[in-house]
Amino acid sequence: MIKLVNVCKSYFLGDEEVKAVCNINLEIKDKDYIGILGTSGSGKSTLMYLIGLLEQPTSGKVILEGKDVSKLSDTDLSKIRNKTVGFVFQQFNLINRFTVLENVLLPTKYSKRDLDFDPIKRADELLTHFGIFDRRNFFPNKISGGQQQRVAIARALIMKPKVILADEPTGNLDSKTGDEIIKLLSSLNKELGVTVIIVTHEKEIAKKTKRRIYIKDGKIVEKYL
Amino acid sequence: MKIQNGWHLVKAALEGFKRNKVRSLLTSLGIMIGVLSVVLLIALGLGLKNYLRQQFESLGANLVIIFPGNISSSEEGGGIANFGPGFAGGADFDEKDYLSLTRISEADYVVPLFMKSSVIESETERKFGYFMGTNEQAFKILNLETLEGKFFTKSDLTARTKVAVLGQNLADGLYEDSKDAVGKTIRVGEQRFKVIGVAKKKGDREQDNGVITPYKTSFGTLNSGKTFFTIYLGTTDEKSIEVIKRRAEEILLKRYKKGDFTVTEQTEILSTVNQIFSIVNAILVAIGSISLLVGGIGIMNIMYATVTERTKEVGIRRAVGATQWDILKQFLTESVLLSIFGGSLGLIIASLIVLIVRRFFPVSLNLLAVFIAIAVSSGIGIFFGVFPARRAAKLPPIEAIRYE
Repeated sequence: MIKLVNVCKSYFLGDEEVKAVCNINLEIKDKDYIGILGTSGSGKSTLMYLIGLLEQPTSGKVILEGKDVSKLSDTDLSKIRNKTVGFVFQQFNLINRFTVLENVLLPTKYSKRDLDFDPIKRADELLTHFGIFDRRNFFPNKISGGQQQRVAIARALIMKPKVILADEPTGNLDSKTGDEIIKLLSSLNKELGVTVIIVTHEKEIAKKTKRRIYIKDGKIVEKYL
Repeated sequence: MKIQNGWHLVKAALEGFKRNKVRSLLTSLGIMIGVLSVVLLIALGLGLKNYLRQQFESLGANLVIIFPGNISSSEEGGGIANFGPGFAGGADFDEKDYLSLTRISEADYVVPLFMKSSVIESETERKFGYFMGTNEQAFKILNLETLEGKFFTKSDLTARTKVAVLGQNLADGLYEDSKDAVGKTIRVGEQRFKVIGVAKKKGDREQDNGVITPYKTSFGTLNSGKTFFTIYLGTTDEKSIEVIKRRAEEILLKRYKKGDFTVTEQTEILSTVNQIFSIVNAILVAIGSISLLVGGIGIMNIMYATVTERTKEVGIRRAVGATQWDILKQFLTESVLLSIFGGSLGLIIASLIVLIVRRFFPVSLNLLAVFIAIAVSSGIGIFFGVFPARRAAKLPPIEAIRYE
């Protein structure tokens, strides 16, 4: 589904060029369940953002369903993100001045085409499925971390994306709640057939995935040390 | 989908204002004051213009007006710059001038006018009004109608009878009912007049508060110099205007130098006056606009702060599929709403002030002013909002999401 071919991404810190990731070759298939494992600063988040089309590569190609998307305009990329990708972050990244329901509905506001579902009905279904329907009119800062992350996952799912990208989704949660979130993400892959990619530095979490990619100093390596 | 999206933007903006009530209010205050001052100045300009137009319209059409000094000297290149001396200096017209002008056969009416503001007294009341000495044709030229009694005639003029026709406002002020005025005696200075008629109100300040008398009656007393300020020549035939003007000039040039008097048409004066008021008004509005500018800068300042505060939110929105244009629209909506809110508030307050002030002073508002107020405030919202909104739109999504 998504293919990265010789992808490099570098940043400039003043005049110095810093390569965040380089020579990445990676293929993500439909219904894949992948763990991207790496230490802090290894470039794993950058890799995730490249897969999620939130960043464009400095060189190389990102191919989505056979089409090179690495040179597309901001508008086109945004459209694809809206339709195809759902992000889940370590910090939950909900908008605090919106209610749970409004947060879940946010991506639907940016859909450029008519939706093939009723957004509120779908949001309610997702919230019910994740056991937080009774929190739908709460503001994010009034619910627990685990609940916030479920809201974030519901938001990631509302547009029926092909792929969910989770960046350290358990990083701000206690281990029990973290396990629940990982179970939830696994079930999405198993039951709904959504491609799930979890970026983490924890081996234990990565073990739950079907396939692992190790990244070190911006390069994919054979083994995680 | 489109409408829903637009509504989403407005709703989000309004929720933002609710969270920062004081800040939003203070920000729109700048625009409010700006719109208030611009609208008030427009109202003042329009009011004065209307007032003057009324003054002229109350005179019948097809009128040639002669007065001392020099105003419409466009052929000499002076234009409106020479307007000033028109009201002071120049020729002093007397009865001889008036009588020579009556020889112009094309003029159906020739009306001399002496006017001064005076205190008018009845037995019980004292009112401020305008004393006028003229002839019996004045009523025709001024389009006056009797409300009560009658107007004086040519024989009153030649017999120097001490009769007067009151304007309706003045009659109302001097007597309990304007109907009571006829038959009473009023006093202007040392001279007494018997009221023989009341003229129906016309909306002209001077006529409605006038004491209209045969001019000969006041010669040597109220009109000690036996002069006229203006002489009107009226015709029922528009085509004779040019002939009358030329002949009047010829007659007057025998006694006066060129430039000591002006022979003009009503429409010429009106356009000259309009020109002056347009310029004065434009200057005033330009000055008022400075406060609009300051208000706009206030909005820009707050919007920059808002963008910084919401950097993370911008990142989140970009991640879920907002385009740069979506983000731009979001912030632009806020700044436009802020300034429209301030603009409407300013407009409402300005309208209230106009409603109160119009009793004492000629001010008026029109749709144009309302339209300008709303257009200008939304324009300011867009202009001063676009820079902060662009900054928000151009934020790199990843950096924005990580912003704390």
